[in-house]
Amino acid sequence: MIHSKKLSSKVGVYCLLIAGVVISIAPFYWMLVGSTLPSGEIFRLPPKLLPGDYLAQNLQSLNESLGFAKIFWNSLFIALVYTLVSTLISSMAGYAFAKFTFKGKNFFFFIILCTLMIPSQVTLIPLFEMMVTFNWLNTYQAIILPTLASPFAIYLMRQNMKSVPDSIIEASRVDGAGELKIFFTVILPVTRPAMAAVAIFLFMSQWNSLLWPLITLNSKEMFTLPVALSSLIGMARIDYGQLMLGTTLSTVPIMIFFLLLQKHFISGILGGAVKE
Amino acid sequence: MKKYMSIMLVMILLILSACSNKTAGNDEKTGDSKNPAGTITVWGWDVAAATMEAAVKGFQKKYPDVVVKVEDFNSSDLYDKVTVGLAARGSGLPDVVLMEDERIPGYLHQFPEGFVNLGKLGYDQYKDSFNPAKIAAVQNKDGDIIAAPWDIGPAGMFYRVDFFEKANIDPNSIQTWDDYIEAGKKIKEATGAQLLPIDIPNYDGVFQMMMQQQGLSYFDKDGKISLQSKEAIQAMEVIKKLHDEDLILNNKGWDGIVTATVNGSVATVPYGVWYAGTIMDQAPDLKGKWDVFYLPSFEEGGTRYANVGGSSVLIPSSSKNQSAAYAFVEFFTTDQESQLLGFEKYGLFPSLKETYSNPIFTANSEYFNNSPIFKKFADIVDQVPQINVNENFAKATSLTSHAQAAILLENKSVESGLKEAQQQLENEIK
Repeated sequence: MIHSKKLSSKVGVYCLLIAGVVISIAPFYWMLVGSTLPSGEIFRLPPKLLPGDYLAQNLQSLNESLGFAKIFWNSLFIALVYTLVSTLISSMAGYAFAKFTFKGKNFFFFIILCTLMIPSQVTLIPLFEMMVTFNWLNTYQAIILPTLASPFAIYLMRQNMKSVPDSIIEASRVDGAGELKIFFTVILPVTRPAMAAVAIFLFMSQWNSLLWPLITLNSKEMFTLPVALSSLIGMARIDYGQLMLGTTLSTVPIMIFFLLLQKHFISGILGGAVKE
Repeated sequence: MKKYMSIMLVMILLILSACSNKTAGNDEKTGDSKNPAGTITVWGWDVAAATMEAAVKGFQKKYPDVVVKVEDFNSSDLYDKVTVGLAARGSGLPDVVLMEDERIPGYLHQFPEGFVNLGKLGYDQYKDSFNPAKIAAVQNKDGDIIAAPWDIGPAGMFYRVDFFEKANIDPNSIQTWDDYIEAGKKIKEATGAQLLPIDIPNYDGVFQMMMQQQGLSYFDKDGKISLQSKEAIQAMEVIKKLHDEDLILNNKGWDGIVTATVNGSVATVPYGVWYAGTIMDQAPDLKGKWDVFYLPSFEEGGTRYANVGGSSVLIPSSSKNQSAAYAFVEFFTTDQESQLLGFEKYGLFPSLKETYSNPIFTANSEYFNNSPIFKKFADIVDQVPQINVNENFAKATSLTSHAQAAILLENKSVESGLKEAQQQLENEIK
């Protein structure tokens, strides 16, 4: 009796879970299928659920209208450089705020937290004017530099650095290590999970960013993926197959990046969960 | 420690100075109005940008010293960029920019000094080359021509020939909206297809066409809101009747319209002429099964014409090379060949009237049941009623769409739904 009750509730739970999986995977699957169909076929009723044979043509037309390799490279270059430098800056700043005492430390940290509250729309136009004055429109640095110091990342790193025991740092100092050496060889390795979380966060936000690159980039060769994909949506004509393929391809790097850092990321999330 | 810091500082400075070196060398010669020279940048969207790009060749034959750089964005992205540029006092804007007509009044209202008065540069001489409704659309409130007319979208009713045959209906017999509804019922019975797609809560294009037939937008000639006029009520009544008979397919957005067009769930699509290009693109298999007739009117013999969409080109005041920009605008909008090029390749319907006599226009279209559909559209261009489109157009559109949803989906009466929309609009634009 008890056994069958357990079984039936288990069946119920699994059905729910399966439904959840189907619901979350279906749009993704449809995107994959769509990328192998010609535009008109996508609207067929009933919809085609199996991949078609139009992948090569879609790829070709996508490449013709965008120059996909260059755009992919733009996005990748910007996102990687940004992630690398920004992670470094935020962990350095976080370390300083967590472990050093200097004049105005709390004041500066407060200021940094305050900038979290400024909506990006407010800074959009002044920042744009600045880029115009520097003559930086249509360049990589216009996209990478303005958001390089991310207050959220600094905050996250500071919280994590705080949990590093002071005694480790003191011991290293006693052993004669310089400050930079301490930072790179002692501090960074222990905060790796937090750095992975920050890196994923920064990479995703830069990879998906649309508005700022759109405002600052003008020529097709400089476009990032989101801007280029958006330019595929025409006034009266949209090649949906091409668009689906572009979208599919643009999700691949995020998946790879996430899978690479996943292990650290999850322990990073759990990092502050339990205090012992 | 100090050593590291100073090395880092030096490196940062080096990088910064390397970046800013590019600043120099932008002061090119610009020439004068007789002999324009230099480089100009032009912004457009997909097919329009492609047409501009193609027109550059002819342009450079006439003006060899001008280099034209065409940059291509999705139209809503383009508006974002233009808005930011204008808000930043003109920095980063191109020399020529393409814009949909319904957007122009909004920009002129918000940035009255944002664009060059083309009339002053000599564009007034072309006033008679375009239809009056279009010319009205590109003028500011003082009657100066601010934008050079480019394409237009005379409206018609695209219909499925095979569905009409199956239901035994002669499209020529449909004269009024009532005829249209009757035909719709029969078609639904015979084929199961609904009559037309409308994204009820988001799209009031059909209402707009009906209003223009009666010489109105959401505003009358004096700028008064006309949502409570008898014309508006009459138009919304027709839409309600269509919905009561279950003839409207409530499909989401642009993709919804395209889907319905391709998969045969609707028998007609009322839209601008440029939709012909979309049909051909997305439904190559339906060749010979689409054709077009004029919109039905409210009374027999009433106006059957309206316009959906269309765009024009403007010169931002911040352009440092206005003589070259004007030369391009003038050439691009008045050169027959460039117009025909955009029409033939991309289905962009020119507003330059002298193009309509070209054989490309008068020929029969194989895809569209061998009928001369573009001639049909060209014939009505001059009769499209002039309407008053102003800076509050976008607000009015969304409020009217909401009213439409309340009337059709929540069973509000036509009068009270429109009354509420009118009041809300009055409050918002006070």
